[in-house]
Amino acid sequence: MDQNNSLPPYAQGLASPQGAMTPGIPIFSPMMPYGTGLTPQPIQNTSSLSILEEQQRQQQQQQQQQQQQQQQQQQQQQQAAQQSTSQQAAQVASGQAPQIFHSQTLTTAPLPGTTPLYPSPVTPMTPITPATPASESSGIVPQLQNIVSTVNLGCKLDLKTIALRARNAEYNPKRFAAVIMRIREPRTTALIFSSGKMVCTGAKSEEQSRLAARKYARVVQKLGFPAKFLDFKIQNMVGSCDVKFPIRLEGLVLTHQQFSSYEPELFPGLIYRMIKPRIVLLIFVSGKVVLTGAKVRAEIYEAFENIYPILKGFRKTT
Amino acid sequence: MSSTACRLYRNTTLGNRLQEILLQFDKAINSALAQRVRNRVNFRGSLNMYRFPDNVWTFVLNNVEFREVTELTKVDKVKTVACNSKNTGSITTE
Repeated sequence: MDQNNSLPPYAQGLASPQGAMTPGIPIFSPMMPYGTGLTPQPIQNTSSLSILEEQQRQQQQQQQQQQQQQQQQQQQQQQAAQQSTSQQAAQVASGQAPQIFHSQTLTTAPLPGTTPLYPSPVTPMTPITPATPASESSGIVPQLQNIVSTVNLGCKLDLKTIALRARNAEYNPKRFAAVIMRIREPRTTALIFSSGKMVCTGAKSEEQSRLAARKYARVVQKLGFPAKFLDFKIQNMVGSCDVKFPIRLEGLVLTHQQFSSYEPELFPGLIYRMIKPRIVLLIFVSGKVVLTGAKVRAEIYEAFENIYPILKGFRKTT
Repeated sequence: MSSTACRLYRNTTLGNRLQEILLQFDKAINSALAQRVRNRVNFRGSLNMYRFPDNVWTFVLNNVEFREVTELTKVDKVKTVACNSKNTGSITTE
């Protein structure tokens, strides 16, 4: 009994499993499970629910900090021709931007149902894979205005016959070597060449472009040509949107001069050539933005999400 | 109708004279339209169909209003066939 009192308080419960067999020697075997209190830990509330809550709160706070760091990183990154692998390294050891480093304890979530008496040892802040910052999304979706696509009808065409018999067709071989045909639904224009290749422009969505191209192919088919529908491909998509605030174009061209070109005497808009994704944006003082050069819709959306924080930084305040 | 009938009898005395008269008719109508017609008519309608092979325009318009300084005429359907000429004239048929 006396020897039990001499033990440190955390070992008292462990030292004497059965009173009758107590040899008086404290049982400190190397088989003790790790993390049962041998290392000194800050005293925390040991009820399982609150531990879970605290760990979740810590993780949320850390994610928010990482989002803030990410936003600052993004501005620097776009100046330095984005490198995603260095992002994690930059988070841990960057001295450029003023960042608040909270040295919070990062604890892994315990298994459900278990109650860890003492939390696991403090680990250094491990870089979490950056999540898309939901708080920074612009809430503006660019609208598609024009889609250009091509398709191969797979047979040689007699353009004179098509122009003579088809409705809404023009053919002026002295001016241009293709039949220009238009349909009302979807409102599109097609250039049909004698090789059998066709360009379809003016549709507002990918599905409409495909549907219109099929309608043109059907018209050609009804005129007696063995038209097929080979290699339909969308070549270009144009979108536009409005950020709803005026923009300082001169500032933007100063800081992003590797990407932008702005000649107000030539054209009133700034031409921003984004590298990734490869999209060209026309940015105007009014806040209207035109995005072009995309092969898929996601590139337009991604380009706009990339440019929006930059434009916010050059908002005109007068 | 004229395409199904036999054109064999055009090469007769009567037929030849009539063909000469047709040529005279062409010349007369062209000069009359060029010289004697001076008024200007505007017309406006919704375009139903257009066509342009061999430099000949064909339009089909609906709900057309023919507007002259003096009067106004409304028509349901107008088919216009037009081609280039020296004085950019046009021929209109109903």
